[in-house]
Amino acid sequence: MTSLKKFMMTAAAALIVSACSTPAAVPPATPTAAPPTATATTAVAASPTPTPTIKPVVSKEGTLTIWVDGSRTKMVTDLGKKFTDKYKVAVQVQELGFGDIRDQLKIAGPAKEGPDIIIGAHDWLGELVSNGLLLNLDLGGKASSVDPVAIKAFTYDGKLYGLPYLVEAISLIYNKDFVPTPPKTWDELKAMAKQLQDDKKVEQGYVMQQGDPYHTEPLLTGFGGYIFGRDAAGNYNAKDLGLDSPGGIAAYTEIDNMIKSGLLRKDTTYDLMLGLFKEKKSAMFISGPWTLNDLRTAKVNYGIAPIPTMKSTAKPFVGAQGWMVSAFGKNQLLAKTFLTEFVATDEAMQSLYDAVPAASAWLPVRNKTTDKDILAFAASAAGGDPMPAIPQMSSVWEAWGKAITLIFQQQEKPDKAVKDAATTIRAKIGQ
Amino acid sequence: MLLDAAGIWFAYGLFAHDGALVATILLIVIAVINAAFLLDVLNPLRWIVPGLALMVLFVLYPVVNTLGVALTNYGNGHLLTKEQAITQFEGQYYSPPGAPTYAWRAYRAPDDTFLLWLTDTQGRSYIGDPKTGITPTAGDDPRFGPKDDDGLPKTIGKYSKLSRLEIFPYLSTLQSFTLQAPEGILRIVSLDAAPVALHKYTYDRARDVLVDHQSGAEYQSIDGVFTARDGSELSPGFSASIGLRNFVRAFTDPDVRGPFFSVFLWTVAFGFLSVLLTFSLGLGLALVVNDHRLPFVGAFRALSIVPYAVPGFISALVWVGLLNPFYGQFNALLSTLTGVSPQWFSDPTLAKIAILLVNLWLGYPYMLLISLGALQSIPGELFEAASMDGATGLQRFRFITLPLILVALGPLLIGSFAFNFNNFALIDLVTGGGPPIPGTSQPAGATDILISYTVRLAFTGGQGGRGVDYGFAAAISVFIFLIIAAITMVNFRFSRQLEQVSENL
Repeated sequence: MTSLKKFMMTAAAALIVSACSTPAAVPPATPTAAPPTATATTAVAASPTPTPTIKPVVSKEGTLTIWVDGSRTKMVTDLGKKFTDKYKVAVQVQELGFGDIRDQLKIAGPAKEGPDIIIGAHDWLGELVSNGLLLNLDLGGKASSVDPVAIKAFTYDGKLYGLPYLVEAISLIYNKDFVPTPPKTWDELKAMAKQLQDDKKVEQGYVMQQGDPYHTEPLLTGFGGYIFGRDAAGNYNAKDLGLDSPGGIAAYTEIDNMIKSGLLRKDTTYDLMLGLFKEKKSAMFISGPWTLNDLRTAKVNYGIAPIPTMKSTAKPFVGAQGWMVSAFGKNQLLAKTFLTEFVATDEAMQSLYDAVPAASAWLPVRNKTTDKDILAFAASAAGGDPMPAIPQMSSVWEAWGKAITLIFQQQEKPDKAVKDAATTIRAKIGQ
Repeated sequence: MLLDAAGIWFAYGLFAHDGALVATILLIVIAVINAAFLLDVLNPLRWIVPGLALMVLFVLYPVVNTLGVALTNYGNGHLLTKEQAITQFEGQYYSPPGAPTYAWRAYRAPDDTFLLWLTDTQGRSYIGDPKTGITPTAGDDPRFGPKDDDGLPKTIGKYSKLSRLEIFPYLSTLQSFTLQAPEGILRIVSLDAAPVALHKYTYDRARDVLVDHQSGAEYQSIDGVFTARDGSELSPGFSASIGLRNFVRAFTDPDVRGPFFSVFLWTVAFGFLSVLLTFSLGLGLALVVNDHRLPFVGAFRALSIVPYAVPGFISALVWVGLLNPFYGQFNALLSTLTGVSPQWFSDPTLAKIAILLVNLWLGYPYMLLISLGALQSIPGELFEAASMDGATGLQRFRFITLPLILVALGPLLIGSFAFNFNNFALIDLVTGGGPPIPGTSQPAGATDILISYTVRLAFTGGQGGRGVDYGFAAAISVFIFLIIAAITMVNFRFSRQLEQVSENL
């Protein structure tokens, strides 16, 4: 393939993408997303002898290039400096929007304009691996130091494709001023919410975002439903969809009943859910550790508790984030070695935790963690299931979200909405 | 001069970054532009050439390119080119039974050549030299220098040993270091291991077949996937030409065709109503603020342009908040005044009205501005003459103002229609296409217009990764392009008719 053709392909893709790219209108759209940040290109060259380059972001031989989102730039730059000091290899850190890392890798990677290493979410794997964009990684004996849930999350088709460094899952967040002891069961939660609303202490006792499948996953599993069943080896089986199983229908009938009785409201966005809690107009909601910053600055007397038990224990989706190696980098051996020899150590993992507190996937660091909020979210993750990473997940999210929106908006009966969604998903996966 | 300098600088950069063909084209274009300016014969071309060059770059090139992509299956699972996919497959190895794996240490000479000290699992050591291959070490090798703590010589001839720390800067060179061994090829795969392995795949160019040496299977390239005879496919696939299948799919795939008609109707209605409403309000306000009898006319003019000064994205998001049935101020006001709180985002009809309302807010200041300009350009004598003939105010507006304004603004209105036809940002920000149409398996909503529906189909927006299908999206873009082109043709026809109106006046 000539370079012109390559250039044309890339340009075409970029054109289509830029013409249609969605502004960050729905912040929690990517469940494991770090706070959306504007794309900025600050290339930090830690090279001792800075060489003038036209594009200081591209993988080039002998210099490690890492793509990270804005919340991690400083942390990775600092880590890179330590690596440079010790091993005399320059590290460049390039800042991109979180989702852009995945989208840009698909275009820039094959055009040889990508990085050596990216930091991203495990649910990108299906898409990136099926397009041949990632290298598999062998952690050897160090794998035993990593949270098994995170290893499971970063395993695709039996191979490990990343070095996980944090895990996250959603948990019940409540305001201690309104809810002195957190509810143990879902019925208790509903009773408390109703009482608080009847007493006019809050506008909404419990808030749930409309049309967001991720935040309804605990309900789905708590009422006995599931998204994908497991095969004998414990991997997700895409042929066994449990959205319209009796448990799944029960879960969404529950949401329907809560809307009818005024315990849930339609047209509630993520921002509204968070805003109501911060303004003390609501008492409880279920969300993840990415809300911690907001909660801490909002001066709300909040607590974090396990998700109340429904018919059975609720299993939230677990997201893992970690380091992945591009298949199109020029320093593949160096990149892998950087991860296995330098990042996968207590020292580096501790500095990652210190920079951005989140439940570490590195067990020696997790065992030393004392922050009770983070431990509460980590406990929730320990009881969860990794979010499926199969490439068809985007169709699943789409149809599933549509069904929940229709239920929230009372446009369709829950069993019909859920069955329609399941039919759509089966058709897409069968393709 | 500046252009030349910039062009040559770019070309230099492109040459340096393996873009020789683009650089050559760039240099030719610069040469043509220079020729047009320097040669007297080409004098008439002087002012057209830069425009032509830009037209080719920004209009023709994207159109041709989109057409090209529309004929491929470039998208998820087919992102790589065939060469890239083949390179990936040929870079895969497998270990034949009995092939050894060595532990290795590297020795480096000042001229950046390397030797490997290899140790097998039984503890026997070998020297790996690209020239002589793998040879067992002899204890009395005269090249060996004094031994270090590991019991390995610190130097071998001109080569000196690299410690685990020192090795890092050379890993990128060493990753392509291979040695021929009797069992296969020795490669370095990690700091500790250098296994001997064989190529898993080779590509037979003559037959267009990928051969798996481990299993003996052969994979044919079918529609951008290497497929074995038993139907099993190799991942990743690559981008391949699939002819007109994307276009056929747009018409025959029930997933796409299903709500296409209703979406198309709403797109046209949305474009037309948006223009009608914004233009009516804009013109009405223009007539008011153009009247000098109005007090504080300056303040009114300034105020009515306020929505224009706020970035549209922000306004749209603010409106989403205002219209929220439970927490929105707009609805709070409405329910206090009238007792009803419309469900703007749940009811399909109300959602459409909400979209039009927000677009009215966003669009009328533009119409106001252009109407004001057009009003100023109507000669006052016409109105005087009309008044003399006893025309009422309404008649003057109907027979003088409106036709004359339409002459000037007609093309702009059609341009505005074309813009709203593709107003993806508004739809996406305000309703996201919703509310969903119940009972269909398609990801279409009641307020989706063609472009937002296309984006959803092709990019399947949402969580956890998008299933991109650039080829299909390009095909749909071609359809939208044809529709817009048709509208533009009508535009030209229409403006010519209006010119005749003004001539008749």
